[in-house]
Amino acid sequence: MRPNRILRLWVLTLWKGAAKMRALIPTSAVFSLLWSLAAAEIQPPRKTRDGFAVPQPGHRFEFPTDHGSHPDFKIEWWYVTGHLFGEQGRRFGFQATFFRRSGPLPTNGTMVTARSELFGNEELHLAHMALLDVPGERFIQEERLNRQGWDAESSTNTLAVRNGNWSLSVGTHANGPFSLQGSIRSAAAFSLEMTPVKPLVVFGEKGVSRKGASPTASSYYLTFPRLEVAGVVTLEGRNQVVHGQAWMDHEISSNQLDEDQAGWDWAGLQLKDGREIMAYRIRKKDGSRDPFSQLAWVDANGAVTNFNSGHFTWTTVQTWKSPITGGIYPVRIQLTTTDPISGQPAIFILEPLVFQQELGGVLSGISYWEGACRVRNEKSEDVGSAYLELTGYAGSLTERFQ
Amino acid sequence: MRFAPSSGLTATLLRKFTLRHWQAAPGQSAVLVVILALGIAVFFAIRLANRAALGSFQNFTDLITQESDWVIRAPAGLLPASLLTELRGRLNPQPVGIIPVLETTGARPQTDPDEAIGSRESFQLLGVDLIGIQNLAARIVQERSWFGQASSSASVAGSSERFWQIFRNPRAVFISAALAARDKLRLGDPFTLVVNENIATLEVAGIIPAKRDGPQAPATLLVMDLPAVQSLSGNRNFLSRIEFIVEQGPDAKTRRAKLKERLESWSQERWLVSSPTDRRESAATMTRAFRVNLTILSLIALLVGLYLIFQALDGAVVRRREEIGILRSLGVEEYYIRRAWLLEAALLGLVGGGLGALLGWAGAQFSVRLVGRTVNALYYSTHLQYAQLDLEELSAALLLAVATSLLAGWIPARAAARTPPAQILVRHALAAPGLQFWRKEWLGAIIALAGFALVLLPPLRFAGGVRFPLAGYLAGLCWILGAGVLSSGVLRTLARLARPLGRWLIPAKIAAGHLVQPSGRHRLAVAGLVCAIAMTAGMTILVASFDTTMRGWIEGTFQADLYISSSGAQSASTENRISPETWKSMVTHRAVAEVNAVQTCDVQLSEGQTTLSGVELEVMHRRTRLPWIQPPLSNDVFAFERNAGLALVSESFSERFRLRRGDPVTVPTPKGKRKLIIAGVFSDYGNERGSILVERRHFAAWFQHEQLSGLMVFVRDGFSIETLRGEWLARHPGLRIFSNAHLRSEILRIFRQTFAITYALEVIGVLVAMIGLGLTLVSVLLERRGELTTLRALGLSRGEIAQATACEGLALAFVGVAVGTVVSLALGWMLIYVINKQTFGWTLGFDVPWLQIAGLALLVISIGTGVAYGVGRWGADLPADQEE
Repeated sequence: MRPNRILRLWVLTLWKGAAKMRALIPTSAVFSLLWSLAAAEIQPPRKTRDGFAVPQPGHRFEFPTDHGSHPDFKIEWWYVTGHLFGEQGRRFGFQATFFRRSGPLPTNGTMVTARSELFGNEELHLAHMALLDVPGERFIQEERLNRQGWDAESSTNTLAVRNGNWSLSVGTHANGPFSLQGSIRSAAAFSLEMTPVKPLVVFGEKGVSRKGASPTASSYYLTFPRLEVAGVVTLEGRNQVVHGQAWMDHEISSNQLDEDQAGWDWAGLQLKDGREIMAYRIRKKDGSRDPFSQLAWVDANGAVTNFNSGHFTWTTVQTWKSPITGGIYPVRIQLTTTDPISGQPAIFILEPLVFQQELGGVLSGISYWEGACRVRNEKSEDVGSAYLELTGYAGSLTERFQ
Repeated sequence: MRFAPSSGLTATLLRKFTLRHWQAAPGQSAVLVVILALGIAVFFAIRLANRAALGSFQNFTDLITQESDWVIRAPAGLLPASLLTELRGRLNPQPVGIIPVLETTGARPQTDPDEAIGSRESFQLLGVDLIGIQNLAARIVQERSWFGQASSSASVAGSSERFWQIFRNPRAVFISAALAARDKLRLGDPFTLVVNENIATLEVAGIIPAKRDGPQAPATLLVMDLPAVQSLSGNRNFLSRIEFIVEQGPDAKTRRAKLKERLESWSQERWLVSSPTDRRESAATMTRAFRVNLTILSLIALLVGLYLIFQALDGAVVRRREEIGILRSLGVEEYYIRRAWLLEAALLGLVGGGLGALLGWAGAQFSVRLVGRTVNALYYSTHLQYAQLDLEELSAALLLAVATSLLAGWIPARAAARTPPAQILVRHALAAPGLQFWRKEWLGAIIALAGFALVLLPPLRFAGGVRFPLAGYLAGLCWILGAGVLSSGVLRTLARLARPLGRWLIPAKIAAGHLVQPSGRHRLAVAGLVCAIAMTAGMTILVASFDTTMRGWIEGTFQADLYISSSGAQSASTENRISPETWKSMVTHRAVAEVNAVQTCDVQLSEGQTTLSGVELEVMHRRTRLPWIQPPLSNDVFAFERNAGLALVSESFSERFRLRRGDPVTVPTPKGKRKLIIAGVFSDYGNERGSILVERRHFAAWFQHEQLSGLMVFVRDGFSIETLRGEWLARHPGLRIFSNAHLRSEILRIFRQTFAITYALEVIGVLVAMIGLGLTLVSVLLERRGELTTLRALGLSRGEIAQATACEGLALAFVGVAVGTVVSLALGWMLIYVINKQTFGWTLGFDVPWLQIAGLALLVISIGTGVAYGVGRWGADLPADQEE
């Protein structure tokens, strides 16, 4: 049995309360899990009030089907961020996000709609693409919105999402390589092939990632934390061969935020030692941090160690004010956590490669900061790369996700 | 002595020499300005109306997104919507915006079953993907969002209940701000519209967001989500067109060109790839002949005015020659005198042009509706309400005004400048050299003969089978000019013949005395009248011939008892159809003897667009009398078993595409190209684009549908037509059902309405000529004021002097009318057999409305005589030494 499988089994066993394994668990993880268990004691309802599916603990994922679309859930997204290096080490950051959002489910008495396969009105597909040219300090982004139909679709059988000429798909093997194609206006384009170097990670307890006190505020959170990337980036009409690393999330949910929550900050760190950290803090409207905030270490083999809200800190080091939206984003942060291997405190500082990495626009009404960062340790050594996501700083998000 | 050249001198000349005369005779100056103003006004009004009509043809998607780079359409019928997926795959990964569009028309429901066609407001219903277009709309600043109009929270797609309510409501319609303001419509209000045979109650979901500072959507534009329009129009899987927008940025031009190549190589000959500019140009081409004809008509008044201005300025030279002589003897050089004259002419042009533009702009508001109606009936749907002031047209009008008066003033200016100082002493010196032209009657004959040669030339041909009969128009101009010159001879002859009358009638003797050697002014006045009468009566002949021909055509062609179409059909470009379920249920009614079902579709041939219609050829042959230009040589074309590869074409089609009986014509259909042999050519006055008739059942097979644009029903004997009509109207309120008599009268009404504008133009032309006649006589009397004094001294009363002038006026008017009428016969003939045939491809019978022409003649003669009498009475009181 491969070590990572053992660890996963280990975590799973803990979930089931297998006491004999407890001695093996680091202290902080025990707290985390105990807390999680407390929270998970309430069995979530199968449906939200508006009739959408709610992530259920112990769900058995099947691939490639579960890489595809889940129309019974209200919101779903496929998220790819990464760091690329071109000729002469020219550095790029990239982001591609495909959102799917279902409209209200028809109830009795709903008016007859003009249904059409090519022009559907059950779902909307929003997508964002961004390319950061680090030496040129240029951040190019585009937003796109389409109804499901001829110009936007997400397969329910496998990973095949498309929005206009943007697409993310998987070939014959369920776990990659994945192909990402896109262009950003006429300024940039990329065609990338991404091959996971670690197995898929399912964050959360029993496969459910809780996002708030409400029993429905949760998601299925599937991640390939490290993928090798090779492909071509076209900038200003010139093709460059690039290579690098990416992070790919697929999150499925019907209620992402509770009403008292204002937004979230998320970070995906890829450390040079082969480990990754995924952390999010959910901010409440009163300024406090929601106890459902999480931090998870993924070890070199893909095994996950979770820390709950009380066991990591997220501190703002520097803010940046967007000249476009006026939003003030905490773009330089410090994460303090415990290294699950050494048990020692670990400090990471995320430094944006460029300040202007704000996305969004009039179509979605969502503006957020999603930026490529360098990761330094407490000695200011460069220990990895990260993508940092900061939402809810330029207007409330709750309404969008309700 | 010699004046130093300075602008001061010109100014002094203008003030002391020109303006003084103008001030001394403000009435005459005003009349001159009015004549010019009228001519310019008519021209300007028509140009503005034409421009508005052309501008009303637009790609409405431009209003809500940005102008597309390329558009694809089907050469016949609609595009299958499934092409979209194919296209996206083909164009990937190119960043290209693809906008599918389904456009149809709709009208307000009918309230009166015996309404006039076109009386209800009709709308252009644009179906676009309301979500997809926001990707493009986001790049332009819009004054409002699509979905955020009910509440601020709905401003973003997908974010609120309200958004989904609007988005999923198949009846949600976005209207223009203009319509909302006019009809006081608010969000949520119902909006009833007939599309095809259905009366749909839509719901106002918002105002069409327009570009900030961009053109606003017209009141007749409605926008709905594309699948909603597909469902409403019964075209569930079809699109009218697909538009493409290339991403802005570097190499956009190259990418644009490459996109066209890709689209063309992909579509092969299945679809047509064009640019919006091509479309606009084709709309411009389609109506070019109509617009040019109107512009030429609008120049009648100006042409008549040209004679008058020329003559007024020339008269002024004669009257002011003493002063000119003094100036010349003071050493003022020819150059300055000529310049002062030309400046005077230019000033007149500016003042007249300015006033004309003002009048014209007001007139355009009236004429725009008339022009709009014709465009609507013949070409494409438009609802013109007002014509915008256009700087380019304004400059053109002012330039034309100045050019006209400079042209008219050129010869008098030269004459003035060359007046030798010695002429001061000579009272009756030779007339100005310019007027010599009007004395060379042989030249008139040559010009008129040249016209006959021109008439034989073929028309100019443009793309899309558009023809312009330039030689024909020039021939007309030659005849008018030549006859104008020749008319002096007639005047002289008439005077000679009238001389014996003088024994009994002193005034007649005096008048004849003047006309035996007619002055340049007389000659010009007659020529101006000839011009006005010839053109007016010529048009009257054309209209009358058209009327008679149309009535005959209607009589022979419209034989059915009931004519049924969608009640939404209100213009030539309607997309509204009757569904097969409906019409097939109607034809089985026991009162129905038989029907002729008509399917139509616009098709794009390689040379231009035309109409393909599927009709029951056998029924048509048996039930109607088609007027043949080239009848079929056998009855094969009327037999379903034998007519699969045969077609009948209209005369307009034959003329436009230069195809005759026996020629092949290749027609695109959704089932591929069909090669048809023309079996016969028939007369048709329905449209000038021409039409091809084939057997309806073949049409239905090629187009894979049986939606009708019209159904003609022959009612069985013994059944009441009105009862059947009433029954069907009650069952199908979305249909328009006309009785034979009503349809016939409607066709005639529409036809006559298209000529309404020509009547207005003619009236103005005649009016100008009448004013001109009065002005001529005023000017003649002013020149003869010495003689008037003598006549009074000889004991002639004022009445007798007035009678003498009246006789002169009568003679001028009579000759003008007589020669004008003769020319009008030639012009009428040419308009019918050359211009009309060459432009529209319509053969008309020649019909002279003698009564109307006689009425016109009588009117002109009596007004002319009356005006002359009035002028005579005024002239009788003129003191011998009064200046102008």
